[in-house]
Amino acid sequence: MSLLPAFSVAEGKTEPPSITVMVTPDSALVGDRIRCIISISHSDREVATLEWPDAFDTLSSRSFELISSKHLSSTQFPGSRQERFELELAVFGAGRQPLPPVTVVLRDSQGRVTKKGVYTPPASVFVRALTDSTMHDLTPLKPLLKPKIPFLLIMPVILGAFSVAVLVLLLLFLLKRIVRKGAEKVDSGQVAQRKLRKLGSSLSAGMPPHECYEELSNIMRSFLENHYRIRALEAVTQEIERDLKKLGIAGFENIMNLLKQADLVKFADSRPDVEESRQSLQKASEVIRSTRQSRPPEE
Amino acid sequence: MQLAVELEELGTQIIEASSFLEHAEKELSLRIIGQRDVIRRVFIAMLVNGHILLEGVPGLAKTLIVSTFAAAMNLKFQRIQFTPDMLPADLVGTMIYNPKDLEFYPRKGPVFANVILADEINRSPAKVQSALLEAMQERQVTIGSQTFPLQEPFIVLATQNPIEHEGTYILPEAQVDRFMMKVIVDYPSYDEELEIMLRSATNAGKVPVKPVVQSADIFRARALIDRIYVDPRVQRYIVDLVVATRKPAQYGMAELESMIEYGASPRASIFLLLAAKAHAFLQHRPYITPEDVKAIVYDTLRHRIRPGYEAEADNIKPADIIRQILQHVQVP
Repeated sequence: MSLLPAFSVAEGKTEPPSITVMVTPDSALVGDRIRCIISISHSDREVATLEWPDAFDTLSSRSFELISSKHLSSTQFPGSRQERFELELAVFGAGRQPLPPVTVVLRDSQGRVTKKGVYTPPASVFVRALTDSTMHDLTPLKPLLKPKIPFLLIMPVILGAFSVAVLVLLLLFLLKRIVRKGAEKVDSGQVAQRKLRKLGSSLSAGMPPHECYEELSNIMRSFLENHYRIRALEAVTQEIERDLKKLGIAGFENIMNLLKQADLVKFADSRPDVEESRQSLQKASEVIRSTRQSRPPEE
Repeated sequence: MQLAVELEELGTQIIEASSFLEHAEKELSLRIIGQRDVIRRVFIAMLVNGHILLEGVPGLAKTLIVSTFAAAMNLKFQRIQFTPDMLPADLVGTMIYNPKDLEFYPRKGPVFANVILADEINRSPAKVQSALLEAMQERQVTIGSQTFPLQEPFIVLATQNPIEHEGTYILPEAQVDRFMMKVIVDYPSYDEELEIMLRSATNAGKVPVKPVVQSADIFRARALIDRIYVDPRVQRYIVDLVVATRKPAQYGMAELESMIEYGASPRASIFLLLAAKAHAFLQHRPYITPEDVKAIVYDTLRHRIRPGYEAEADNIKPADIIRQILQHVQVP
C-alpha cells in the first residue's frame, strides 16, 4: 500500500484541486486486480468527476484494464470539499508499471466545466509474471526443520549403529563359512555307511524288505550325488549310468546293479525276501567302501 | 531278484508281441536314414491310439517316414495336402446325387484310411482343421445323416512347417492338445546326411518296402500295453510333472510362475502315461520306470505349455521349461 501525492493539472481562475492516490496492493501477479482510491479536494462550489479514455494510448495504460469505478464519498469542509473515487484495475505486463493517467473534470453548480486536466499519478505497481519462481512465491517451501539434537551428537550414534551392523554381518558370514566347511568335511561315504547300518537294524526289527530297497536307493543316490557331484536324486537310473560312465568310475557296474534291483522293487512290484535285502545292503556297503578309496573327480 | 509271476509272464508275452516292431523298423531303415526317435514316436502313437504333430523344416523326410511306415505296417495310407481353399467335405466326404436312382449317396473322403498324413495342416482354415481334429477325437465321421466309424488302427500324422507363417492358420491350443505328441523333426547328422545323399542321388526308384505287420499284431500289442504295470510312485511322478507346469512354485520353481501363461491339461497326464507304457513296451518291459516318462515327456508336454510374455522376451522355449521341471521334480 502506498500513499501518493497528487499532481494538480487544473486550468482556470480558481485554485487547482489537490489530488491524492492510494493503491493497494503495490505489487501483484499478472491478471490480478488492484484498488486505487483517488481523493480530490476542490472548492465547495464545484463538483468533481473522473473520465477515462475509451482506449488507452499510452504505454502504461496498456498494462491496466479498468474493471469498475465508483464514487465513494463526498465530504464537506469549510470552503472546500473532498471527493473520493474508487477504481478497480486489472494489471498486465511484467515489471514495474506506472499507473495510467485519468482526466479530472470540475464543474460549477450549473454544470459548466470550470477545470479539466489530465492527471498522471506518479506511482507504479510491480507486476510479477507467472513463472516457476513466482509459483514458489505462491506456495513457498517450508523451511527445513532444524534437528532438535545437534548433528554432531547424532553422528556418533549413527556411526556406532552402522559399525554394529557391519560386525554382525561379518560374524554371520564367518559362521556360515565355518558351518559349510564343517559340512564339507563330513565324508559322504561315512554318512552313507551310517545310514546303511541303521537300515540294517530296521530290517532286523521287521521293516518290510521292499521299503528297505526304497531307502537303499535313496542312500545310494545321495552318496553318488555328494561323492561324485552328479545330479542323482532327480535323475533316473539310466541317466546316473550315463554320468558314471562318463566319469569312468571303477566298479560302476556294482552300483548300477544295486540301483536296478531297487528299481525292480520300486517300479515292478518285485517282492524280495529279507535275506536278499540283507545281501543287497552288504553289497551296497562294499560298493561304498571301495568307491571311497577312489578319489572323487576334481571340480 | 525275480519279478512277480504275472509280470514275468507279461514280459515274455511282450517280448514275443513286440517283435513285429523290430521287423517294421528294419523295413523302415531300408528307406529312411536316421530319424530313429521320430520313427519310435510314430510307433508309440500307433500302439496307444494317439496322433502326432510333426514339426520340421521342409525336406526332412517327414512324408517319407509316414508313407514308409504305412507300407511296412500294411496299413491304408492317405496323404492330404492342406490348402487354404480346402473345405471339410474335401476331407471327410460328401453326399453325391445319383440321377439314375434319384438319390443321394455318401462318398467317403480321404480321412477313411488307417494312416493319414495331414501335410501342412496349418495351411487350411479352422473349419477344415476342426473337421480333421474331430475325426481324430471321435474316430467317426458324419456325412449327411449317416455316421461312419473310421477304420482301426487310425493314426493321424500332421505336419507343420515352423518357419513359414505367412498365409497359415495357426492351430488353436484346444486343437493342438488333441495331438498326443508334438515331435520335432531335426536335421540328420553329418554321417546320416552323407548316406542319404549317396542313397538318394540315383535314378533308381524308391527301395521297395515289404508289409511286415498285420493289424492283429497291433491290436495284440495294444491289449498287452494295457496290462503294463504302473507303480503308484510313477503315477504320482507323472502327475507331479504335469502339475509342475501349472503350479511351478509348489515344486520350488517360483521363477517359472511368470514364464508360463498356462500349463498342461489333464489330457497331458493321460497321454504321458499311455506314451510311457508304449515306451516300456518298446523296451520289452512289463512295467514303467521314470525313464519311460522322461523319454517321452518333451514330446508330450511341449505343445501343451504356453510360455508367457517374459519367457518369449527371454527366448525361453517350452523345452527349456520342461528341462527345468525335470531337474526340480524328484524322481521316485
